[in-house]
Amino acid sequence: MEDGKLARGPMIAITLLRVLVGWHFLYEGIAKITSPSWSAAGYLKQARGPFADIFRWLAAQPDLLAAADSITMWGLTLVGVLLILGLFTRLASLGGIGFILLFYLCNPPFVGLFYSIPVEGSYLIVNKNLVELGALIVVLASGSGVFAGLDTLVHAVLGRKRKTG
Amino acid sequence: MGLESPAWTAGVKRFSHEAMATVFEVQALHPDATYAAQAAHAAFDLVDRLERELTRFLPNSDVGRINALAAGQSTRVSPSTMDCLLVARQMYDVTGGAFDVSIGTGLPSLELAADESRVRASTGGVRIDLGGIGKGHAVDLMGELLEDWGIEAAVVHGGFSSVLALGAPAAQEGWPLTLSDPGPPIRVLVRLARRDTALGASGVRKGGHIVDPRTGKPAAGRRAAWAVLPRQAAHERSQAGCGGPRRAAAAAADALATAFMLMRLRDIGALCAASPGLEAWVLPEPARSGGPPEALHFGTPGSS
Amino acid sequence: MAGDDEKDKVAVPPRPAGGRKLDRRDVLKGLSTVPALGLFGYAWQKQRQYEQAAAGTEQAAAAGDVQDVHVALLGAGAQGQVLTDAMLRIPGVRFRAVCDVWAEYNQRRVVNQLQRFGFQVNAYEDYREMLDKEKELDAVVIATPDFWHAPHAVDCLKAGKHVYCEKEMSNTLEGARAMVAAARETGKLLQIGHQRRSNPRYLHCYRHLLGEAKLLGRIVTVSGQWNRAVTPDLGAPERYTIPEARLKQYGFKNMHQFRNWRWYKGLGGGPIVDLGSHQIDIYTWFLGANPSHVMASGGQLYYDPATHEWYDTAMVVFDYDTPAGPVKAYYQTQTTNGSLGYFENFMGDQGTLLISESEVHAAKVYRDTNAPPWDEWVQKGYITAPKLQEAVEKDKAAVTDVRESVSPDEHKVPIVLKDPYHQPHLQNFFDAVRGSATLNCPPEIGYESAVAVLKVNDAIEAKSRLSFTPEDFAL
Repeated sequence: MEDGKLARGPMIAITLLRVLVGWHFLYEGIAKITSPSWSAAGYLKQARGPFADIFRWLAAQPDLLAAADSITMWGLTLVGVLLILGLFTRLASLGGIGFILLFYLCNPPFVGLFYSIPVEGSYLIVNKNLVELGALIVVLASGSGVFAGLDTLVHAVLGRKRKTG
Repeated sequence: MGLESPAWTAGVKRFSHEAMATVFEVQALHPDATYAAQAAHAAFDLVDRLERELTRFLPNSDVGRINALAAGQSTRVSPSTMDCLLVARQMYDVTGGAFDVSIGTGLPSLELAADESRVRASTGGVRIDLGGIGKGHAVDLMGELLEDWGIEAAVVHGGFSSVLALGAPAAQEGWPLTLSDPGPPIRVLVRLARRDTALGASGVRKGGHIVDPRTGKPAAGRRAAWAVLPRQAAHERSQAGCGGPRRAAAAAADALATAFMLMRLRDIGALCAASPGLEAWVLPEPARSGGPPEALHFGTPGSS
Repeated sequence: MAGDDEKDKVAVPPRPAGGRKLDRRDVLKGLSTVPALGLFGYAWQKQRQYEQAAAGTEQAAAAGDVQDVHVALLGAGAQGQVLTDAMLRIPGVRFRAVCDVWAEYNQRRVVNQLQRFGFQVNAYEDYREMLDKEKELDAVVIATPDFWHAPHAVDCLKAGKHVYCEKEMSNTLEGARAMVAAARETGKLLQIGHQRRSNPRYLHCYRHLLGEAKLLGRIVTVSGQWNRAVTPDLGAPERYTIPEARLKQYGFKNMHQFRNWRWYKGLGGGPIVDLGSHQIDIYTWFLGANPSHVMASGGQLYYDPATHEWYDTAMVVFDYDTPAGPVKAYYQTQTTNGSLGYFENFMGDQGTLLISESEVHAAKVYRDTNAPPWDEWVQKGYITAPKLQEAVEKDKAAVTDVRESVSPDEHKVPIVLKDPYHQPHLQNFFDAVRGSATLNCPPEIGYESAVAVLKVNDAIEAKSRLSFTPEDFAL
């Protein structure tokens, strides 16, 4: 872990972060899959802010909504599993960032916009979604899956050059 | 809204009662003061019972249980709560979501099974607050109770914002009522004489605001709005399969007044044109220059 | 990402191309986070079990695998309507009949309501006719005026029906004794409507706070009240007036007495019985003893004595000889001012339990400063953590920090009733009918409660301290 790569300590910390975010994604996905009547419609219809019209329009299209529901619940689950395992970590991080960005834009805590029901916590522009997004950027940038995760094996098996080790 | 007081009003007996965070009042014309008082108090008992069902502050009220539903769960509610929810759903539909008892948390996810009076949540997290329709709902049922008691001419209101004129005083066209600018300064905008008609009012005091459930943003530009709906018109709506209880006129007017604070004027006009008997008044905020604004009127009075 | 990340890495040492042998270290690193997935699986499974257990009862009910109980409502007045609302939420309750002498109004209203829920019920004015014709009935729920309880309950039991009877069990001890005897003779169930006995909040306090944790230490005094604002006499819509002959047939002088029977001697028992009975029953239950003496002051202080024969105000002191020692218990009910509503307050040398059926007070416990710590019970979830009192950092050199006075630790009791107030008690009754529970308030308990409560009116009249003997409570 030299030559500009992160040292062992920070890599362990980032791996822990990766597993935690993965856990959260996995449960968000599984909870939706196992709830027979879950749909993103409720969330989309509460959309606020500059992109609200797009999200609401989406909620009103039954076919698109069904697709969005499937993509969301299976996508979240898949991203969660991959992050925990450290398999295809970069792809999974990018996918996770995409999901969070959509959630964030659906209800952004911008100045002058507020949720009509009380939510836990107080947010101005930065909310927990954005923090989790930041965590995934760290995971994305660090190559944590190669440090500790199945990516290590993938690399070895595919016979590519490994990172420093 | 106010009630004018000409000479014949001396015979009007007034009874009031605190409930639903406001004051309910029955003004009845009846020769027997004791009997009128008993009728009024029977109506107030009814309001107290309704409040226990509709309050969101008690975990074991109908609304408390609905608000605790997780996805896929259901709960049984009283028939009167079901009626109130049916009207709320209907008003959500006709106002394009401008009246939304779930304040944007997803009213359509509540499935209302009227035949078994059961509410099912298809998604979790729906929170309803019947504050914008509950008073009207109570006033409707109080009106029916008073009629059952043989009180034929009365005005019932919940906090002045939800009013039901039952019958009319002898030799009068209707109960005299006023619609006023909430001010400051307070001034009478419209004088009406109505019988068997429900009126709902919504407004903001200086500095207050109403949140648009469709956008989550505070609505601006209007100071007050009123909805007027004859009971007969509400009755015909329910006969026509629009759902809801027999004569949910005050509940509908209560809800519509809130929606009229938010809806586009041409949508209000279109709704009034499509709903015989429904009238709306909208009072815009005063312009920066110029005199006090006048209320805009939509719809035509129903024949009652 | 598998193969493409070398390009953003700096100073990667070149490796021979064409594959590399997997070493043990690679495998360990590769699999190092797999256990997290296992842990997730475990946690998720636990969560599923918890959710299924929570939803279990409701789902079982919805699936219709509960045995139907065929029920008649006898007495469709205000209380009968409250019980009907609660019963409509209980799975397996099949309404078959409604009986009320006010056929023109209350009977019709409840029948209409039940029809909205799909119950085609038969309506009766005379309960004997109902018992003759309704052969399918399993149970009768009685919410008639107090003086009708004994004849109604006894006849229903003898007709082979299980009975849920509103409190007060009877307006006379003879009536109450006849009810106990009929229940014993027929072997049918008789539940008396002291519904707090099934309220999860009261059960939790009784079992866990007083029984297991003994939070209050030695209870020495109790106070309680039900204060109610002035209410006008009840009237009735003129068009639904009951013909005089029918009123007389059922024991009422006129429509006013029919509507306001609670105030009349021989019909009801006045506020001490209507309101106080619920709470004095809790005194007896929580203290684990029947009272030994009662003294009371009360009277007709406010309402027209001609139409309000019972006392509108009563202030009562009971003496108890409990297993732990003597206890004095105060109770008041008045009907002219609703100040502080209704609650019961149990005071021991280590703490105080304030409890009420109403959400205004709910239930709170206050720890005496000299009592042993309650951390264990907070951790067990029996009570919530107290409002913070000791926020100031201790300075070891000082004995005390001089500051604004603090109030004693207040803990809440984290039990919320999500159902209408009477539902758990009715549920307990129907469970017992199906054989899956025992009654929380069998007639023996209702009788003991009636003995204690009815004597208050005697004490007010006698203006002296009256004593109970063990025989008074014996059956």
